[in-house]
Amino acid sequence: MPWSDPARRFEPAEDVQLRAELRDLLGLGPVAALRPSEPSAELTALADDLRREAQRRSRTERKRPTWGLLAAAALPLLAALAGLGTWGFQQKHRADGLAAQAQRQEQALTQLASAHASEVAKERQAKEQVQQELQLASRKGSRRAEPYLVIPVEKPLKVMGDDYQRVKQKPQ
Amino acid sequence: MSQSPMETPFGTQEAFHAAFAELYPRLVSYSRRYGATFPEDIAQEAFVILMQREERVEHPTAFLYGTVRTLSLTERRPMKNQNLSLESVTEPGLAGGADDQVLNQEVRERMRSLSPTFREALWLFVVEGLSIREIADILGIPEATVKTRIHRAKAQLKEQLNPSGGLHALV
Repeated sequence: MPWSDPARRFEPAEDVQLRAELRDLLGLGPVAALRPSEPSAELTALADDLRREAQRRSRTERKRPTWGLLAAAALPLLAALAGLGTWGFQQKHRADGLAAQAQRQEQALTQLASAHASEVAKERQAKEQVQQELQLASRKGSRRAEPYLVIPVEKPLKVMGDDYQRVKQKPQ
Repeated sequence: MSQSPMETPFGTQEAFHAAFAELYPRLVSYSRRYGATFPEDIAQEAFVILMQREERVEHPTAFLYGTVRTLSLTERRPMKNQNLSLESVTEPGLAGGADDQVLNQEVRERMRSLSPTFREALWLFVVEGLSIREIADILGIPEATVKTRIHRAKAQLKEQLNPSGGLHALV
């Protein structure tokens, strides 16, 4: 099938009709029949030359290692990403350890605080109990008991003249 | 899918020779329309690039036209005319060649009156005989856009032929 045969490429009937209308509008007339003429020797030789040139270029031109080139270009980036990932992983590991340690410390402190609070409560309870007992005891022996605190003092053997101090003046 | 060394993008050796004989002058002309200084070199380079490809090309004709278009525009890049489209870079005396043999003066005038964007799609569709899909491949735009451009070119052509918008038919 020749390359210019319309059947070579499918074209809808409306396009063919549109082309005919346009040719008519332009005054070109209907599409001329294909000329199955023999190509000239000069053109055939040129075509063969061009084909050989294309083959020569295909052989001699250096093939671009696209994937290799891309991989080589991406290698530093990948290395940087891997390094960054490792560093990030280490940082995360370290942060996790610190967080766990902080949690443990917090738990220990909470326990200590609760123990202290219970101790304080016990002491307070004991103190209240003692106070209640004291109150009870003071109610029982309130008549005999001195309303003030008596501090025993060793009396000197000999009373000196100025061995006292007047704290209250005589009533006049 | 790759092709064997003896196979060509157009099939057998004979089919390749026939395709080359038919396409090469068209591609040279197409490149010249973009104002390329060396259109023959560009067309030959396009063929070499096509045959150098290891992967099979689905639409070799579209690939060749697209490559010629790119190479022609690239050649013009130092002149900073990248945004120019087909025919907008072509002066009446510069372009032509095979096209002038195909199109007469009146048709060329009608084509030139169209906007460059529509003209490019129309040229490939009508004169080069490429399919909508191939044109979309060449221009790197969706097929729907190609169809829209062709229909707008058609509307502009109708407007040229009947500037009064058909009112004369009522008179």
